[in-house]
Amino acid sequence: MRRAPIVIGATILGLAGVLAFHTRPAQLSLPAVPAAGATRRPASGTSPSGTAGRISASPAPGKTGQPAGDTTRSATGPGVNYSYGVMSVKVTVSGRKILKVGIGSLDDGGNLRSESIDQQAIPILEHEVLQAQSANIQGVSGASFISTGFEHSLQGALHALGFQ
Amino acid sequence: MGTVVTIDLYTGPNLAAAEAAGVRRELARASAILQNADEIFSTWQPRSPVSRLRAGNITIAQAPAQVAGVLERCAAARELSRGWFDPWAMPGGVDPTGYVKGWAAQLALAAFTAPCVTGAMVNAAGDIASFGVPAPGQPFRVGIADPAAPRRLAEIAELTGLTQAIATSGTYERGDHLIDPHSGRPAARVASASVTGPDLGLADALATAVAVAGETGLAFIEPIHGYEALIIGFDGRRRWTQRFPFAPP
Repeated sequence: MRRAPIVIGATILGLAGVLAFHTRPAQLSLPAVPAAGATRRPASGTSPSGTAGRISASPAPGKTGQPAGDTTRSATGPGVNYSYGVMSVKVTVSGRKILKVGIGSLDDGGNLRSESIDQQAIPILEHEVLQAQSANIQGVSGASFISTGFEHSLQGALHALGFQ
Repeated sequence: MGTVVTIDLYTGPNLAAAEAAGVRRELARASAILQNADEIFSTWQPRSPVSRLRAGNITIAQAPAQVAGVLERCAAARELSRGWFDPWAMPGGVDPTGYVKGWAAQLALAAFTAPCVTGAMVNAAGDIASFGVPAPGQPFRVGIADPAAPRRLAEIAELTGLTQAIATSGTYERGDHLIDPHSGRPAARVASASVTGPDLGLADALATAVAVAGETGLAFIEPIHGYEALIIGFDGRRRWTQRFPFAPP
C-alpha cells in the first residue's frame, strides 16, 4: 500500500510564485506562499486577451459535513493567442489539490490542424499529477510543451481560484 | 523565459507548526533563487545582465559574479563534450541557457536543509534535481517522455546514490533551439537525449550536446565519471551508455 507522504508542491511561472499541493496533507494546511515577484508579460509572440477567469463550483458528490476544501472548483483563464487562434486553459481543483489542467476553449477559425493541439499542448501539471499517480513515478523528464500563452492562461485560472 | 518549475517536498507525517514554517521559508528561498537566476540570465529580457553582455553593452567583469562562475562551468562542459556544447558558438553572442536552467534548479534544491524534508525534487520543465527518497526504501523514479507520443513514457530512470539529477533535451521541446556548434545552424541527430548524474547543470549541458551529436555523443559521455546518457532516435530506437540507471522492471 502506498503510504501517502505529505507533499508540498510549488509552481513558479516565470517570476510569479504559485503554491499548489500535489497531495493534500493529512494534518497540515499551508497558506499560499506569496508571489515571488511581480507577474510579467509573457515573451513576445502571444498577446493575452479576453475576459478574466470565471469560476464554477460544485460540491464533492456524496459527502456531507466536509471541510470547505473538498469542494471541486474550476476556472478558465483568459484567452491567449496561439499558433492557430485563441485558446484558454481550464483548471479544476479540490481544496489545495490541482485535479486537472486542460484546454478550456479553442477558437481556431475552423483550422483543421489545430485539432491536434490536445495532443501537443500537454499541461505539465496534469502530466505530472496523473501520470505520477498511475506509473509510480514522481516526475517526468522531457516533453515540455508549455507555450508562453498557455502558461499565462493557466496563471489566470489559478489566480481566479485563489492559488496566489 | 516562462519556465514552469515544480518543487515537490517529501516529509514524514506529523509536521510540527515550527517545522512547517521553516519549510515554507525554504520554499520562498528556492523561489527567490530561481527568480534571481531568471533576472540575471534570461535572454528574453533585453535588460538582463546576460542580454546586455551578449549585446556588448557590459563586460563579464561588470556583470553579477554568478555570470563569470557560470561561464567558467560552461567552458568545462564544452571541454567534456568535445565542443558539442558550446555557448560561444551560439548566434547572437554567448548563450549559457543550456546550462543555466539545470544550474538554477540544482541551486534551488540546495535551499532545502530542514531535517524534516527527507526527499525533494525540483523539476524545471523536465530537468530534474533531487535528493533523498520519496518514501523509505523507495528511490525516486522519473519517467522519460516518449518524443514520438508525449503522453507516453519511453523509459523510467531511477535517481539514487550519486545519480540524483536528470536532464532531457530534444527537438520536440517548444522554444528549444538546438544549434550545432560546428555549423552554427539548428540541428539534432536524435529525437531526445537524457543525461543522468550528480549535477543538473552539467547534465543539462551534456544533454544538449548529446541531442545535437547523436550516437557519437555516447562516446564522450562514457568516460565522464558519474554521468550516463540515453538517446531515443527519430525511429524510436534507444541507445545508452553502459550504466544508464534504468529503473528495475
